[in-house]
Amino acid sequence: MVLEPLLGPEGRTEFLLGNEAVARGIYEAGVSVASTYPGTPSSEIGDVLYRTSAQMGIKFEYCTNEKVALEVAAAASAGGLRSFVFMKHVGLNVAMDSFVSLSGSGVKGGMVVLSADDPSMHSSQNEQDNRFLGKFAKVIVVEPSSPQELKDFILYAFDLSEEVGHPVLVRSVTRISHIRAPVRLGKAREKNSWGYRRNTSYVLMPENAYAAQASIADRIERAASSRFREAFDSSYGESPTLIITSGAAYNYIDEALEMLNVRARILKIGMSFPLNRERVMEEIGKAQRVVFVEEGGPFIEEQVLALCALNSIKKEFYGKMNGFVPTSYEMDVDRTAGFLSKIFGIEMDVKKDESIVPRREPVLCPGCPHRATYYVARMAMKQAGIRNPIAPTDIGCYTLGYYEPYQLGDFCLSMGSSVGSSSGFAMNSTEKVVSFIGDSTFFHAGIPALVNAYHNNHNFVLVIMDNSVTAMTGGQPTPETSPPFRRVDIESVVRGIGIKNVFVMDPYDLKNSLETFKKALRSDDLAVVISRRECALEADRKRSPADAKVFTINQDKCNQCYNCVKNFSCAAFYTEDGKVYIDGELCDGCSVCSEPLVCPFNAIEVKD
Amino acid sequence: MVSIVFAGVGGQGVITVAIMVGRAAVAEGKNALMTELHGMAQRGGRISVEVRIGDYKSAIIPTGSADALVAFEELEAVRNISKLKEGGIVLLNRRRIHPVSMTIRLQNYPEDIVEERLGRVNKVDVDADQVALNLGNKKVANTVMIGALYSTGILGINEESLVSAMKESLPEKHWAVNMQAFEEGKKLTGLSVANIA
Ligand code: SF4
Ligand code: SF4
Repeated sequence: MVLEPLLGPEGRTEFLLGNEAVARGIYEAGVSVASTYPGTPSSEIGDVLYRTSAQMGIKFEYCTNEKVALEVAAAASAGGLRSFVFMKHVGLNVAMDSFVSLSGSGVKGGMVVLSADDPSMHSSQNEQDNRFLGKFAKVIVVEPSSPQELKDFILYAFDLSEEVGHPVLVRSVTRISHIRAPVRLGKAREKNSWGYRRNTSYVLMPENAYAAQASIADRIERAASSRFREAFDSSYGESPTLIITSGAAYNYIDEALEMLNVRARILKIGMSFPLNRERVMEEIGKAQRVVFVEEGGPFIEEQVLALCALNSIKKEFYGKMNGFVPTSYEMDVDRTAGFLSKIFGIEMDVKKDESIVPRREPVLCPGCPHRATYYVARMAMKQAGIRNPIAPTDIGCYTLGYYEPYQLGDFCLSMGSSVGSSSGFAMNSTEKVVSFIGDSTFFHAGIPALVNAYHNNHNFVLVIMDNSVTAMTGGQPTPETSPPFRRVDIESVVRGIGIKNVFVMDPYDLKNSLETFKKALRSDDLAVVISRRECALEADRKRSPADAKVFTINQDKCNQCYNCVKNFSCAAFYTEDGKVYIDGELCDGCSVCSEPLVCPFNAIEVKD
Repeated sequence: MVSIVFAGVGGQGVITVAIMVGRAAVAEGKNALMTELHGMAQRGGRISVEVRIGDYKSAIIPTGSADALVAFEELEAVRNISKLKEGGIVLLNRRRIHPVSMTIRLQNYPEDIVEERLGRVNKVDVDADQVALNLGNKKVANTVMIGALYSTGILGINEESLVSAMKESLPEKHWAVNMQAFEEGKKLTGLSVANIA
């Protein structure tokens, strides 16, 4: 039997992913409503809730974007329920408009917002440190260090939020959300009951907003002196050197100190806004020198230095602001030992690995319909004489079209930016603009930009790569998923705007797709191509093993023209001594490579 | 205290294997940490998972301190070799997955780099894919690797804990073939538990 560890009884210890610990944490905290838009490294929270929320008594939903998700949760909280919204760090930018106002409105039922940051950008476009956004929005910020703390801090955060009537931001990072560790399960609390009452602070028109400003400061002050604050911070060790640290950075310090054979006193901060000022000042008072070790920006460092300035305290300080601690990329034991060794004045020999290992770029899966779309797009543009297209792209698996051999990906800032930037390119450039966006991203932020393009008479080709799933984050549903949800039809949305040149194609059918694509390129007005084919991984999940096919190269027929490897470039192809092969373990059996438009010699056949 | 790097390519089940090892340790009341990285690609990207059992706070293994590297793919073994401590052991599944950027240039698999770098370390070849095929189910290659890893004795966990962790993660109809794969894996390294533990 495959167990569902997340629903286990109180007292059990399970080996949980940080994100799974979050899901368990909100269950234990008595949360009634949870919402999100999927984004790595926070996605698995949603995967778990999608499976188990009914059993947990939580109303969970995937929203079209993070702003909507935050508003769904905020309304639940206004009605007295505990609510939770989670997202990847850049998702908070999308939700920011409502997030900032939320601190003015305040909350009734406890409300926690979780941001999973991505230092070192393992799967993101930047490594912004969202603790700064929390403080900017005047929202309480807490930062756990481990999966167990993720769960525990979420419980405390809900209690604190409800006590002071203010939202709390939990900042996680990849190396907490994607760490597995033992997590001790606790008891699930009772849920609050619904009891919505009108309140002037929920309508932030100028008069009410003016009053709200004063109450924000009051709530932050109450959080700073709340009895819950003790639950977040901890300290240990005897030494004149004080290391102030937080979050994932904390995990590396003990081992680094051991490596260097030195000691320090550690102050681990769990609530980094507002700080527990008395405790911090007391610790600093006892220290000779103070080192700040944080992942991201100098968030605690700036606040503590300001406190010291106000209290005329002078110490030796070492941190990001004077260049002793790096400001970019995630920490680990090696890096931490590296900068601590300089601060402690210890020689350290750095082991360097000189060997150069060939890169393995991320690739589209074998059988991926995006590959077929890009192949057709390249071919159609070539045949239509478009040599230098400008190809804005967007955020999803298809961003990989940036790589060889397709090289269709010229501009990408954020979710939905392909469509907005296409207007800007089309307005100014004489080159043809052909841009690419996925279905989930189109719903998330593409629609307003497409309305803009139509309304303002911009002429470009938008390709919506519709695989009916949020694929890059692991296959979450989209507004097209049905049942049990209602299906939103992309073609109707596009036509509803008023766009006339709408073309639908199945990218697996290369021949017809090529003709369709050329028509779209020839149209003298804004055109939308909907390239519709289910994600290969989703299709795999549904297919019975008996129907699985594998393709192979008939070496007698192969003319070694290399069109398949150089231009179509399925990840299952490889060459050895000039001969082309298909890796049978990788081939998905999609059959697209066997079409004459890929292999003109019909050398690619089903393997029997 | 033991630190192990699991490396391979997306789709090979690297993460699943590491989870089973971690679960088994936790079931024995030990502390276990695991860090997994998901790159951008759902399949075909490089994957490395680090597992540490014992009194650690950092899930990320410092350079040159892993006791073992369990590699599901040859080039990925090389890519992660710098984590291995001196005298550490490499369990190498003899599987080659060609990087697409090399294929586009019609390059051969970089065999020489693999042989050169892995020739200098304590390496045991484990033909997990072949063993799995002989058992009639290529999906159990991972379980063969677990068996091989267990037989080195470095895990310091009991066979029963590992077996029940595997069973907890698998539907019952797959138990028998996975147990066979585990047994086959145990025979492959030619090492005996008593020697090392
Ligand atoms: S396209 Fe066909 S003929 Fe050309 S190299 Fe590939 S398999 Fe051989
Ligand atoms: S059938 Fe061809 S294109 Fe499809 S996955 Fe297999 S090798 Fe790749």
